[in-house]
Amino acid sequence: MAEAVQVQLKKGVLELCVLALLSRSDAYGYDIASRLADGIEMGEGTIYPLMRRLQGDGLVETYLIESAAGPPRKYYRLTGAGRERFTAQSAEWTQFSSAVNAILGGAQ
Amino acid sequence: MTRQDFLARLRAGLRGLAPAALTEIVSDYEAHFDEAAAAGRDEAGVAQALGDPDRLARELKAQASLTRWETERNPSAAANALFAVLGLGAIDILILLPIVMSVIGTLFGLAIAAAALVAVGAALMIAGPFVVHGAPIAALILAGLGLIFTGACIGALTAVASIACTHATVWYGRLHLRLLKPVLDVQGAAA
Repeated sequence: MAEAVQVQLKKGVLELCVLALLSRSDAYGYDIASRLADGIEMGEGTIYPLMRRLQGDGLVETYLIESAAGPPRKYYRLTGAGRERFTAQSAEWTQFSSAVNAILGGAQ
Repeated sequence: MTRQDFLARLRAGLRGLAPAALTEIVSDYEAHFDEAAAAGRDEAGVAQALGDPDRLARELKAQASLTRWETERNPSAAANALFAVLGLGAIDILILLPIVMSVIGTLFGLAIAAAALVAVGAALMIAGPFVVHGAPIAALILAGLGLIFTGACIGALTAVASIACTHATVWYGRLHLRLLKPVLDVQGAAA
């Protein structure tokens, strides 16, 4: 149960984290996957279903850039709708996490 | 697990997707392996860090079928979405199976009953006057019409209930997968 909750929590914030990364700069799949996997210990593979969904929802779009080694890289960038979603979600997150922190702090 | 194994299992799990989507997904993971190799990581470690390919394939397929149900609302898309979500193990199948079976059974029964009522009504209306003697023809025709309308009514209610059940499952699937759009979205699309 505790494990399931953790998975759900991580999945929930994963989208926000990806939007946050992309709001700073465009990035390609491997880059996003490895940076997030370091931070929040998720299967790196989960990034790709998420990217497909974000693309399907019109929050990100892709373009190809030639890379020095091997085939061109597929970069993701936020769309206008993606930026709006990021602003809304990060505000929600800040509010939510500070409420939880206040309660946790009060319990100590 | 080697890169070959991972990709083979992923491909096997994605069978049934549109070929273009499948190629695109597989090439995302191939690129991931390429990048990781260029960064000097070993193949087995990369495969492990990616996670279980079967599970990833189920997730990708569930996502595709949920999207399909949202764009084309027909029974086949509904069944697809339903099974994909069930296949995720998102819902504990042992707990849910009896409920799902009884709901599906009930809906199926109602659909059959509706069809039977319509058929009997039609038979009564058309054949009644020749077979049943002594009853006024108008009464037989009206009774037949009554049965047909009752049947149609039950049929329509069953259809509405089936759609509602599918929505509920899809909604749950989205919630669980964190494919969640606000519930209002789903309701808005249904209205």
